[in-house]
Amino acid sequence: MALVSADTRIAELLTELHQLIKQTQEERSRSEHNLLNIQKTHERMQTENKTSPYYRTKLRGLYTTAKADAEAECSILRHALDKIAEIKSLLEERRIAARMAGVYNDSDPPRKTMRRGVLMTLLQQSAMTLPLWIGKPGESPPPLCGAIPASSDYVAKQGDKVAARVKAVDGDEQWILAEVVSYSHSTNKYEVDDIDEEGKERHTLSRRRIIPLPQWKANPETDPEALFSKDQLVLALYPQTTCFYRALIHTPPPRPQDDYSVLFEDTSYADGYSPPLNVAQRYVVACKENKKK
Amino acid sequence: MAEQPRLQQGPPGAAGSGSGSSDPARPGLSQQQWASQKKAQVRAFPRAKKLEKLGVFSACKANDACKCNGWKNPHPPTATRMELQQQTASLSEACRSCGHALAEHVSHLENVSEDEINRLLGMVVDVENLFMSVHKEEDTDTKQVYFYLFKLLRKCILQMGRPVVEGPLGSPPFEKPNIEQGVLNFVQYKFSHLAPKERQTMYELSKMFLLCLNYWKLETPSQFRQRAQKEDGSAYKVDYTRWLCYCHVPQSNDSLPRYETCQVFGRSLLKSIFTVTRRQLLEKFRVEKDKLPPEKRTLILTHFPKFLSMLEEEIYGENSPIWDADFTMPASEGGQLGPQSVLSPVTVSGSPLRKGPSVDPATSEPIAGEKRKLPEALTLEDAKRIRVMGDIPMELVNEVMMTITDPAAMLGPETSLLSANAARDETARLEERRGIIEFHVIGNSLSQKSNQKILMWLVGLQNVFSHQLPRMPKEYITRLVFDPKHKTLALIKDGRVIGGICFRMFPTQGFTEIVFCAVTSNEQVKGYGTHLMNHLKEYHIKHNILYFLTYADEYAIGYFKKQGFTKDIKVPKTRYLGYIKDYEGATLMECELNPRIPYTELSHIIKRQKEIIKKLIERKQSQIRKVYPGLTCFKEGVRQIPVESIPGIRETGWKPSAKEKNKELKDPDLLYNILKNLLAQIKVRANTFMSRSDSTRLLLKKSEAPDYYEIIRFPIDLKTMTERLKNRYYVTKKLFIADLQRVITNCREYNPPDSEYCRCASTLEKFFYFKLKESGLIDK
Repeated sequence: MALVSADTRIAELLTELHQLIKQTQEERSRSEHNLLNIQKTHERMQTENKTSPYYRTKLRGLYTTAKADAEAECSILRHALDKIAEIKSLLEERRIAARMAGVYNDSDPPRKTMRRGVLMTLLQQSAMTLPLWIGKPGESPPPLCGAIPASSDYVAKQGDKVAARVKAVDGDEQWILAEVVSYSHSTNKYEVDDIDEEGKERHTLSRRRIIPLPQWKANPETDPEALFSKDQLVLALYPQTTCFYRALIHTPPPRPQDDYSVLFEDTSYADGYSPPLNVAQRYVVACKENKKK
Repeated sequence: MAEQPRLQQGPPGAAGSGSGSSDPARPGLSQQQWASQKKAQVRAFPRAKKLEKLGVFSACKANDACKCNGWKNPHPPTATRMELQQQTASLSEACRSCGHALAEHVSHLENVSEDEINRLLGMVVDVENLFMSVHKEEDTDTKQVYFYLFKLLRKCILQMGRPVVEGPLGSPPFEKPNIEQGVLNFVQYKFSHLAPKERQTMYELSKMFLLCLNYWKLETPSQFRQRAQKEDGSAYKVDYTRWLCYCHVPQSNDSLPRYETCQVFGRSLLKSIFTVTRRQLLEKFRVEKDKLPPEKRTLILTHFPKFLSMLEEEIYGENSPIWDADFTMPASEGGQLGPQSVLSPVTVSGSPLRKGPSVDPATSEPIAGEKRKLPEALTLEDAKRIRVMGDIPMELVNEVMMTITDPAAMLGPETSLLSANAARDETARLEERRGIIEFHVIGNSLSQKSNQKILMWLVGLQNVFSHQLPRMPKEYITRLVFDPKHKTLALIKDGRVIGGICFRMFPTQGFTEIVFCAVTSNEQVKGYGTHLMNHLKEYHIKHNILYFLTYADEYAIGYFKKQGFTKDIKVPKTRYLGYIKDYEGATLMECELNPRIPYTELSHIIKRQKEIIKKLIERKQSQIRKVYPGLTCFKEGVRQIPVESIPGIRETGWKPSAKEKNKELKDPDLLYNILKNLLAQIKVRANTFMSRSDSTRLLLKKSEAPDYYEIIRFPIDLKTMTERLKNRYYVTKKLFIADLQRVITNCREYNPPDSEYCRCASTLEKFFYFKLKESGLIDK
């Protein structure tokens, strides 16, 4: 039942989103008209070569309208973004529900494991569709936007992706990409699942072994301070794997949709670092330990 | 006409014409237009003016002693606009050099027809143009040719002859098969398995490529020598000169007979120019992509790069069949022969064609194309009908094909993004089509200097291999990658090597050894490995080697299994022993190739077939529309019923296969008795030698050995089989034989191969297969 209602809700949301997009276009055409007026007024003023009070009042009016238009458009766009976020969270809820059902239902035949390539594509898509944080003027980016860490008392929700430090079979410690199953407030421990279906394992880990992944991308054009800077030590997901490794930032993303370029610590290269590789904002987190292994 | 010669490549006209032609596949023929305008202008002159113009190129005939070869105006024109401002010279005007009147120079033209005069005037315009070209041209080789043509045309005007380029150049066609034939063969060879629509796309691409080539400006011999140092510069120079005389200059100079580049040249010219031309073409399309009409844009941007890469392989590949004079598709592809037979007569015509400025690819295409489409569709359908006789009607299949290829029927990006069951190599295939990745077979050579790019790629391969295969000594990798007998299929992305398969072909032994195979770590699990191996398979099919052998280490076995390799080696040991590099602790694996499979497209084809089947089932279901209650007989204890007795199954069109009917024994009691008899004999036989070797337990009963169940996953013994038989478990002979075989396999798996147990198992195996045959349960 719950699944069905989620479906209808998503369909509703999509319809609303569709309408919002149409509205945006209307809003935009309107403001364009006004902007054109502003431009024309400026041109006319130029030819007359003086600023008469008439023009001053006219311009003030025009600019006020333009600002109002822009704000209206902006609010519709934000509204649309909220809809998208809502759709995404519904999908996420459904996914978690389906997963739980899968876990507790032993009578079903074992689920077919995903092909690794598919998992990698999913991870890339999840990085690509991570929402970009768009603040209001003067607002500073919140925790979990780009490089800004979560607050110390933050508890990751069920289904959130995290970097988790686990003991591998050979006893080595390793940072893996994992998904939160639950958090116990009494023991302060997380239960997480390895994202990799091949090594399907559940780990119980203390808080300090968990680093939540960013939930927004930071925009380099407006919030560069929310990005890691060149030469900063980070943990980054090695391309086409599900493990985080220590790396130095080579270049931060130049544009919102771009990736970091990082140099992984890799002793098999003469200088100890891999050539620059691209890693999405979603999969780069701060590295706490600064001592070299 | 400030057309920059040869610095900025591109179809002529794109550089400086005012035609505004935006489609690079449609050259604006500016120089040509200009020349013909000029000619029209000159031909409209009054006769006196014409004579004056011709006089300039006509020898003085006043007396034998006069050696003057052209009348020179005593009042030299000022630089500007001579035709318009100058007065026509009178026939009595004296020549500035010999002093004889103009009339003396043009006396031979008195009784000549207007047509001939006009023809000569055309040559005069062309000579004047050539004269300009000679002056403007900076490249020495080109200048020389222009000058030669200039002299040739002058002589022709003087003698009222027709220009013929003579000398060591030979006459067209210079090579057979010509480029056009080769490229069309290529389309036939590579794409005939595609659906008609896609094949048509490829055909259009090939046409476009040929057209571009016909109007492409070749690089000068000196540029060529600079770029391709190892190749033969003198051969290229000859080709270049031929091209100037027969193809390029005649484009704007219709006094000379004109030939199409793709009609008169063959593989050798294409070899010399392909790499550069390809780069320039793609660059040009990239730059001008916004000007392309949208329907062409996808065609060019997504399919063209891949098309060119595939063509490149055929151009440079040693044994490419597309250049055979008698190229035909293999007989097995009989269904695709239709277009071939229709195409060939069109393409072999070697006569100079399509003169004048009216050449427009878009309009000239359908003349040949339309003729072709109809018979192609017909022959294809005919052939298909023969191949799948008695099956689903072709119209239905076509209809279904239309629905699954209809882009509008797709459900948006979501499905393609989350294609959890997409084929492993789907992404790689798409990337190759878009030109994101490229595949090249490369190798080092000691006899000729390898070009810089190849050497860089080999170094790149060596790095990838040594990084990904840390247990191989780097020196060893280097030695093999650079060994001229080894070749490597390189995977290139953004100009850099990201993976490859190093292999050594043993044509005399009929197999190829896979030596190294790796993809750089950050590009893994993208299907590149699979696509690499598929390309390697196709490469080998072309070279008639149908077996791969490789020693796979423990990490590689999984990969090779996915690529169709098995541990079951069919190549006789004598053929590979001493040839292949043997590695300790590695497993020898083999892959047999089927020359009829287009490997790089295989998963795509299968996906299509599945879709078709699914659609056909859906159709059938909607036609039948009858629901039967489920079967209950199994709950009541019935073990098996004949398939045909299931209600409704016959209505679906299912028929019991004739083969199965005869083979399977209908009477369950009869089967039971036969099997009972057989098992008894086997048990007796087993007991005789088992008691001797004191190993009864292993074969007859599950062993009490503690680790037995860890090693043996499916325990079975003769006693259990006896019980199963009693319980009527063996309703088919298949089940019985499978269990019997399992007894033997388990024994072999658990015991060392040279043990007494295994020897017994082998004896027993022989015995029961003999008995099975004897009782008619299996074929002899």
